[in-house]
Amino acid sequence: MISTFKAKRALTSSLLLASSLALGQVEKLQEEKELEVVDFKSIKQVLQKDGLSESAVQKKKQTAVLKKEQTSIERQRYQYPTEGELWGLCSEYWLVKNAQLLVWDFVKPDYGIRENFQALLEKLGFYQKRFKVLLLNSPTLVRASVPGFDDETILLLSVPFIRSLDLSKLEISLLLLEDFLRLEAGHFKKAVATEKLGRLAGTNFYGAKPDQALVEEILRKYDEQIHRKGFTFQQQFEVTKKMDSYLKAHPELWNTYFKLLGKIDRFVKVNTQYKDYVRMYPAPEMQLKWLSPEEKVL
Amino acid sequence: MWILLLLPVLALAETTATDEKVVGVFYFKPIFGHVHQSSSRASASLTTIQCSHPLKVLESSKVQASPEWAYVQAADHRGFVLKEFLSEKRPECVMGKYPKYFDSFNLDLSELYYWGRLNDQYLQGETRAH
Repeated sequence: MISTFKAKRALTSSLLLASSLALGQVEKLQEEKELEVVDFKSIKQVLQKDGLSESAVQKKKQTAVLKKEQTSIERQRYQYPTEGELWGLCSEYWLVKNAQLLVWDFVKPDYGIRENFQALLEKLGFYQKRFKVLLLNSPTLVRASVPGFDDETILLLSVPFIRSLDLSKLEISLLLLEDFLRLEAGHFKKAVATEKLGRLAGTNFYGAKPDQALVEEILRKYDEQIHRKGFTFQQQFEVTKKMDSYLKAHPELWNTYFKLLGKIDRFVKVNTQYKDYVRMYPAPEMQLKWLSPEEKVL
Repeated sequence: MWILLLLPVLALAETTATDEKVVGVFYFKPIFGHVHQSSSRASASLTTIQCSHPLKVLESSKVQASPEWAYVQAADHRGFVLKEFLSEKRPECVMGKYPKYFDSFNLDLSELYYWGRLNDQYLQGETRAH
């Protein structure tokens, strides 16, 4: 009796095991089928046929290109200006910061300076040259030339100095020409340029802060050069000789320039207000000597 | 009765509206500048504007300006800007090209004002080509 019961139980359990195994086999097949449905490999041919695979790849590529462009545009926003643009920015910012000291914001009559200076430049063959003249209502700074944006020249000239010397339009233009040539010779840029300017101009600072000291250092050097240091005898000699060679073909201009230097020489020697002029632009007396023909010793 | 009260208002609206004509929209070229109260470089500033700022150029028989000046509208201000400072196309500006670097200047109101005045005070010239 017991043995019959045991045999029945063994049969039932073996049947249950067999059925469960059979069920497990069916479930696995369904999963496999599902996997086959989502398996890209199995529908690859269909997708390729529809062009969906290609468009998915293209979309991925387009997104990558757009993302790259977006990053590039964002990077460009962090660019330092070029050297030519930095010179213009520094000069104008220096003028803005020194507005009260230089007193350039004042009402003045039209002296015809722009037209006369432009005509003089053209007469001497300086074509396609851009310039800006800024008149100062102060004797603090007599004259200077600083670089503007992209090879433009900014010329500064004191109205009290013009009035004190009672300068004619031609004499004013010749003074401006001297400063124009001085800037073209590169003496100012050489004296003021910093190591940072050459290194950072036109580069990118994406992911960092812009170097504030870049402009601050240059502005300090502007002050030093324009108000204290001035130019050397050698630099002044070069400029005077350039003026000599440009004006030689026009005797009336050369004579006016020679007389103008004499006028300035006499004026600055007796007028204490302009005592620094000789130190900044050495020296009208020497310039007259450099221009005078050498005396022959018999 | 109501019509009588409205008449002066309607008449005023007509005189201000019919006379003015928009010539076009132009863009400001220098870094900074001013819309002036009158057509003179020395005249007071109504507002400071920066490079690429769009300005409506207006024409009105009631407003007289010297030929080198344009009568413009900038936001709520109507005033004068030198024609040589205006461009039909949007100009390329330093602050537009290098926004992050230009921001680092942190210009205060006084500096903005003087930078605008600087462009008024310059005597600008360019020699001809060959």
